[in-house]
Amino acid sequence: CIDDLDVQPGDPDIILADDLFKDPDAYKQALAGVYGNLALTSAEGPDASNFTGIDEGTSQYGRGLWNLQEITTDEAIWSWETDAGVAELQRSSWTADNPLVSGLFGRAMFEVALANEFLNQTTEELLDSRGITGQVRTDMPAFRAEVRFLRSLAYFHMLDLFGKAPFVTEEDPGGSDYKGPEYNSQQLFDYIESELLAIIPDMKDPLQNEYGRADKGAAWMLLAKLYLNAEVYVGQARYSDCLTYCEQILNSGFTLSPEYLYNFMADNDSNAARNEIIFPVLSDGITTQNYGPPTMLVNGQVGNTERNGADFGVQAVGWTGAMRVTQRFSQIFLNGSYDTDDRNTLITENRPMEIFDIADRDSGYIIQKWSNMTSTGETGSANEIVDTDYPMFRLADVYLMYAEAHLRGGGGSVDTAVGYINELRTRANNPNLITATDLTEELLINERLVELHWEGHRRQDLVRFGRFSGGTYNWSWKGNAPSGLSIPAFRDLFPIPNASLAANPNLSQNEGY
Amino acid sequence: FISYGQSITVTGNVSSTYDNSPIPGVNVIIKDSNIGVATDFDGNYQIDANMGDILVFSYVGFETREVSVTSSTLNVFLEESLEALEDVVVIGYGSVKLEDATGSLTSVSEKDFNQGFIVTPENLLNGRVAGLTISTGGEPGSGSQIRIRGGSSLNDGSNTPLIVIDGLPIDNNTIGGARSILSTINPNDIESFTVLKDASSTAIYGSRAANGVIIINTKRGTNNFQAGLDFQLGVNTIINTVDVFSADEFRAIIAERDAQNGTSYSSLLGDADTDWQEEIYRSSIYSNQNAFVQGALFNVLPTRLSVGHTNQPGLRLTSEFERSSASLSLNPTLFDDHLKISINANMAFEKNRFANGEEANALTFDPTQPVYDPDSPFGGFFQYYNLNNDGVLDSEDLMGEVPRNPVANLLQRKAVANIRRVYGNAKAEYKLHFFPDLSAIINLGFDQSEASGYDDIATNSTTTQPNNALGSFTQYENYDRNRLFDSYLAYNKDFGTSSYIDVTAGYSYQKFERKQFNSADRYNPDSEATLNVQTPLVLIGLFGRANLSLADKYLLTLSYRRDGTSRFSKDNRWGDYPAAALAWKFNEDIFPRSNTISNLKLRLGWGITGQQDIGNGALDLYLARYSLGALGSQYFGGQGNTAIPVAIPQFKNENLQWEETTTYNIGLDFGLFNEKINGAVEVFYKESDKILFSAATADGSNYTNNGYQNIGSFTSEGIEFTLNTVVFRSEEEEGFNWDFNYNAAYIKREIKDLTLDQDFLVGEIDGGTGGQIQTHIEGQAPFGFYVYKQIYDENNRPIEGAYADLNGDNQINDDDKYVYKNGSPDVIMGFRSNMSYKKFDLSFNLRAQFGNYVYNNVNSTRAQLELLVPNAVPGNVPKSVLDTNFNSRTTVMFSDYFIENGSFLKMDNITLGYNFGNIFSGRDQSSVRLSFGVQNVFTITNYSGLDPEVFGGIDNTIYPRPRAYLVGANIRF
Repeated sequence: CIDDLDVQPGDPDIILADDLFKDPDAYKQALAGVYGNLALTSAEGPDASNFTGIDEGTSQYGRGLWNLQEITTDEAIWSWETDAGVAELQRSSWTADNPLVSGLFGRAMFEVALANEFLNQTTEELLDSRGITGQVRTDMPAFRAEVRFLRSLAYFHMLDLFGKAPFVTEEDPGGSDYKGPEYNSQQLFDYIESELLAIIPDMKDPLQNEYGRADKGAAWMLLAKLYLNAEVYVGQARYSDCLTYCEQILNSGFTLSPEYLYNFMADNDSNAARNEIIFPVLSDGITTQNYGPPTMLVNGQVGNTERNGADFGVQAVGWTGAMRVTQRFSQIFLNGSYDTDDRNTLITENRPMEIFDIADRDSGYIIQKWSNMTSTGETGSANEIVDTDYPMFRLADVYLMYAEAHLRGGGGSVDTAVGYINELRTRANNPNLITATDLTEELLINERLVELHWEGHRRQDLVRFGRFSGGTYNWSWKGNAPSGLSIPAFRDLFPIPNASLAANPNLSQNEGY
Repeated sequence: FISYGQSITVTGNVSSTYDNSPIPGVNVIIKDSNIGVATDFDGNYQIDANMGDILVFSYVGFETREVSVTSSTLNVFLEESLEALEDVVVIGYGSVKLEDATGSLTSVSEKDFNQGFIVTPENLLNGRVAGLTISTGGEPGSGSQIRIRGGSSLNDGSNTPLIVIDGLPIDNNTIGGARSILSTINPNDIESFTVLKDASSTAIYGSRAANGVIIINTKRGTNNFQAGLDFQLGVNTIINTVDVFSADEFRAIIAERDAQNGTSYSSLLGDADTDWQEEIYRSSIYSNQNAFVQGALFNVLPTRLSVGHTNQPGLRLTSEFERSSASLSLNPTLFDDHLKISINANMAFEKNRFANGEEANALTFDPTQPVYDPDSPFGGFFQYYNLNNDGVLDSEDLMGEVPRNPVANLLQRKAVANIRRVYGNAKAEYKLHFFPDLSAIINLGFDQSEASGYDDIATNSTTTQPNNALGSFTQYENYDRNRLFDSYLAYNKDFGTSSYIDVTAGYSYQKFERKQFNSADRYNPDSEATLNVQTPLVLIGLFGRANLSLADKYLLTLSYRRDGTSRFSKDNRWGDYPAAALAWKFNEDIFPRSNTISNLKLRLGWGITGQQDIGNGALDLYLARYSLGALGSQYFGGQGNTAIPVAIPQFKNENLQWEETTTYNIGLDFGLFNEKINGAVEVFYKESDKILFSAATADGSNYTNNGYQNIGSFTSEGIEFTLNTVVFRSEEEEGFNWDFNYNAAYIKREIKDLTLDQDFLVGEIDGGTGGQIQTHIEGQAPFGFYVYKQIYDENNRPIEGAYADLNGDNQINDDDKYVYKNGSPDVIMGFRSNMSYKKFDLSFNLRAQFGNYVYNNVNSTRAQLELLVPNAVPGNVPKSVLDTNFNSRTTVMFSDYFIENGSFLKMDNITLGYNFGNIFSGRDQSSVRLSFGVQNVFTITNYSGLDPEVFGGIDNTIYPRPRAYLVGANIRF
C-alpha cells in the first residue's frame, strides 16, 4: 500500500508534462500558453489567476503594463482609488509593496519562465526521444524563435520599467527555486539585442505568420524600440540603428488602416487594421477571455453619467466612469492643431476639464477611442469582455519613431519624417499639416500622445523626452497635488518588489526606494 | 451452618439496579487473587470460593461492588455509574484511565455538555475546555472555526484540529453544498469528546495532530434497555441591526446636501418608510426531535438505534437548514469476551437553502423606497430601471450602478443543496485466546458524502449574465469519500502492585477522494460545464506507544509515529514524530494522609507533530503538471482561425516537506476535598518550524508568483487553567446542589522568522479591488492589522486622511503603515454553572474573550458622507458617520481608527428545567423533563459593531447570530 503514496492527478484538465508532450499537438498548445500569458490570467478563465496577492483582472500582463505606463502619466486617471495600488501609482507615491508593480514584475518574469520551459521541452534530443516527427518538427524552429522573441519582449519590459531583472534562461540549471543573478541595464540591453538578431532569420516574414503570432516585423519593432530608448537605458545614442529597423518595417508590406479607429475595434484582427498592427495581444469574448487593456479600456472609458456603453458594444454603464483623462491631456488635444481630427474623441459636454477630486467621476473629460463594435457596425461576441485585440505595436508608431530618430540625429530624411507625420494627420482627416520647421521635440511628444494615447507608451515616451520626473512637465495629481508637482528622478524606474527581493537575494533595490 | 474458611461453590445472578436486567460479562473475582469468572448471557455465574472471601464484581459502566461470601447464593445488583464511565477516556488508538493520563487532555461527556440551542455537535463543548475556541456563525447549521491553543500554523486552513469520530479521522474540507464538516452529525448521538492538546497525547496521530485533536465518541449499544424522546422548539430572533438613517432622517439629510451642492437628489426619493435590514430578516421557528432506543437485541446484542430531525430556518429570508439522521450502533461481544465488535453506522440527510449576504445592500438601500412596486416588471419588486421597450426584459432595461432590491435578491433566488452522508466504522478487537494480554484490533472507517444542488435565479430578477440575459440556472454534484484501515496490536500487562505496562503498535492507511461537477449556467450557451477530479490524498502511518505505570505513582508514556503523505515527493514525504511524557502523582509523597488534598499530579510532556494539510488545491505540487485551457482560456483565434486551448505549466515545488511543531507542556492536576474542587494548570510552549505557507517564488523560475514553500518559524505559548468546583452539595435528597466550572487560557503567538524577512499582506477587506488589511511580519502575532496611524484634532475627532508620517519622509504612503493589534484574543474564558433544587435545575454558561481586536469594515467602507449620493441614486450610510464626518472612503479605509477592541463577555445559554420524574411508568429510570431556555442571552462589549465575535478580526457585514427562545422536553421510558 505504500505505493499508493505515488498519486496521479485525476483531473482531466491536468496532465503531467511527460504525458502531454507525447502528443505532437501539445507543442502548439504549449506555444499558445507562452503567447497566452500576454492575455490570459489562468487556464480556468478570466476570473481565476495563476498569481496570488493581486486581483485576477489586474494581474493580467497587458493590464499591468498599461497601469505602469499610463496611470502614472497625464493620459489617464483611474477613478477607483480604493483598488489596491492605484492611488499610489497615479499620485506618484508608489512603494516596493505596490501590488500592481509586483504584479507586472512577476507576470513578465513568468513569461520568461514559460519561454524557458518551452525551450527545454523542445530540444532536438527530447523531440527525438519522444518520437515527434512531421509538421511540428518543421514548425519548431519558428516556434522556438517566437518564444525567444516573447522572452526578449518580457526582458525589454523589465529593462524599461525596472532597469534590471533576475536573469534566467533555458541554459540555467532550473529547479523550482533557482535564483537567477541580477542583470543590469547594459547586460539586459546586450542580451535582448543579441537574441533578437539571432532569431530573426528563423522568424516568418512580415504578415506571413498565423494571426496573433510574431513575425520578423515584430522583432524589428522591438529592436527599433530598444535602440530608440538606448540613451535612457544604457546612455548610448543608437538612433541610426533605430532608423534602420524602422525602415525595415516600413518597407515590408505593413500599411496604415484607412480609418484610425479601425485599429481599436472588435474586428481589428480582420479589418484593414490587420495590416497596420505589427503585434497584437488577443482578446475574445468567448475564446480568449481576459480583463486586459481592450476590455478595461472599452468599459473604462464609458462615462458615469453619459452611460454611453452601447456606443461601444458593451453594457450601457460599462465600468461606470472608471477612466478619464487629465487636464493636461485635454489641453494638448485642444491646442488648436487637433480640432478636426479623428483621433480627438474627447467628450467635454457637462464636464469640467480639471479633476479636483479623483472620486468625482463627473469631472474631467472622457474619450471614446476603443470599441467592441466592428467596422461594419456589429457588436462583439460578449458585452463585457471585448473581441478587440490590443495592438502592442503598430505601424503608426513606426512612423513617429522614424521622425524622432531622425530628429535625434539618426539619419534619414526630414521630408520623409514630415511626410510620415502628415500621413497620420491626413489619415485622421486633420487638415493641419506640418512643415520641416515644425518638427520639434515638443511637436513629437504631443503627436505621440495624440496618435498613441492609451496604448501603453506614455511613460516610456515621457522618460525619453525628460518629462516624466522632475518639474518641467506636470499634470494633475503628479506628485500627489491637484495641479501637479515635481517628482524625484528615481521614479523614472519602478522599485523591485519587496517580495521579489525576499525570494531572490541576488536582486538589489533600485536607488531611491 | 457453614464456617469461615470453608470451601463452597457460590452461584448467583448479577443484574442492574437500573432496570433489573441481567448483565452478562461481569467480572467476578476473588479479591487479592487471580481467580475469577465472568457472568454468562443471563447474568449467571458460578465460582468456587471460601467463606469470608470477598468477591469483586466489576463491569464497565457500573460501580464496582465488593460482597463477602456468606452463603452459596449471592445475587448482586450493580449500579450504573457515569463517574466510572468518565474515568476512562478514549485517546488515539486506545483509552487511558483519566487518573493515569500523562498528556494534556480534557474529556467532556454528556452530563457536562452545553444545553440549549445546539445544532452542530461542536457547540456541545463550546466554552468547556481551556484553550479551545469555537466560533460559530449565525447561518442555520453553520460550521465553526475551531482552534486549540490558537493553532500553530500561519496557514489558516491548517490551524484546524484533527477531528476523529469513532476512530475515523475526518476530512477538514466541507463538501460543497453542506454547511460544515460536522453539520451532518446529530449532536444527540454523541457520548463524549476528548480534546487532546499537547504533543504527547496527539503525536500518536502524527501527521495531522499539530493543532490538537478532538475525538468524538458516539453513543453505543448497551445491555440495559432504555428509550427516550427529545423535543425542542425555539424561536430565532434578530438581536440588532446596523444603525442607519431612518426614512425621515434620510430625506432631511439629502435635502440638506441638495441645498449645499445645488443638486436635486431629493426628487429621486420615495414616500415609503422602509427598514431594509428588518425586511431581509425574519423570526423563525426552530425544531428538533430525537428518538432513541437501546438495549440488548435478542438478549445478546447490545444495540442502539436513534433517529433525529432538525429544522432551522435562518434569520435571513429563505435560508434554511434541515437534517435528518439515523444511527445504529451494534456492540456484540463474542467468544467469552475475546472478540469485541463495534459497528457504528450513520446516515444523514442535510438539506440547505442558502441565502446570499444582502446585508450590505440593505444597509445602503434608500429607506424612502418601498419593497414592492406593482408596476415593476422585475417580479413586482421595487427596482431602479429604465425600460427600453425593445420587447425583451434584459440587462439593458436596468439602471447601472444602483443597488438592487435586497429582498428581491433573496426571494428571487433559490440555491438549494441536498447532501447524503454515510459514515461509520467497524472495529474488531480480538484478545488472543492463547495469550490474553495481547489484543489485535482492526478498525475500518468509511465516510462518504454526495451533494447535489442547484442555484436558480429567476429570469425576472435583476441578476445579469454576460450575454445580457437575466437570471441563471446552475447545477452541481459533489462527491467525497474517505476510507480508513487501521490495524494494531495492544499488549497489556498488569504486574500487580499497581503497576502495568501497555504497548500499542500498528499501521494506518487513509485515502481521501473528491470530485466536483458544475453544469455552469444553463441559460448561457457560452458557459462551460466543468468536472474537477481531485488528486487523491493518501496518508500512511506506522505508530507505536508504550504506557508504563509504576506503583500507581510514576507514569511514563512514549510514542512514535512515522507518517507518509502523497502530498510531497518521494524524498520528502516521510516524517517522524516522537513524543514522551512523564507524570508523577505526588500528593501522597508530599502530603501523606491529607484530608484536604486528594490528588496532585505533575505532568511533563514533549513531542513533535507534523502538518501537511495545505488544502485541496495543493495535493500534488511536486509533480510537473500542465493545465489545459478551458473554453475562455484559448489562444490563436482571430482572423477566422480556430482558437486552441493553452497548455500552461503549473507551480511546482519538489522540495516541499512537513511543517513540524515541537510542543513542551507542563501540567499540574489537582484535587481538593475529595475532588470537590479539582482542576489543572498547564503551561505550554510550541514552536513550529518549516512553516508551510504560500510565499513569493524566485521570479523567472516558477510558474506563478506565489506558491507553497517551507518558510520560517512560529511560536505560541500560553497558560491554561481549569477549575471544577462543587460549590454546594446538599446532604438531603433533592436538596440544593451547585456546581461551577471555570476555565481560562492565555495564548500568545508570534512569528519568529520568515525567510529573508519577507512580509505578507493578508486579510482581504470589502471596498475596492484587492485591499488587504492584515500582515504577517516577523516578531509580531500573525494577522496583525497593518494600518495608518490616525491623527486626531483637539476635540479628539479623527482628521480625515491625516496620518502620522511614521518614516518621516514627508509623504504618506504604504511605508508609513504599522502593525496595530490583531484579531486573536489574548485571553479566553468559559464559565458554567449548574444548580438543582427539588425537581428544578438551572444552568447557564458564559464565554469571554479579551484582547481580540476587530477591523470595523462596515464603518470603514460605508460610513462616509460621499456615499449618500454615490451614483445615480442616493444611498444610506451608517449613522456612525456623524461621529467622524468622514467624506471619502478612499482616504480613510486603512486608518487605525477602525481597529476596535472586540473583547466581550457572552452568555451563550441559560436553561431552566423541571423534572416530573417517573410519571409515565413505574420504572425508576423513566422521567419527563421540561426545560425553557434562552440562547445568545447577552453580550457585553465596547465594540461599536453588531457582534464582536468576529473570527479573524475583519467585520464585514456578517450573518447575524440569532437570539433563540426555547422550550424542550426530554422523556425517558
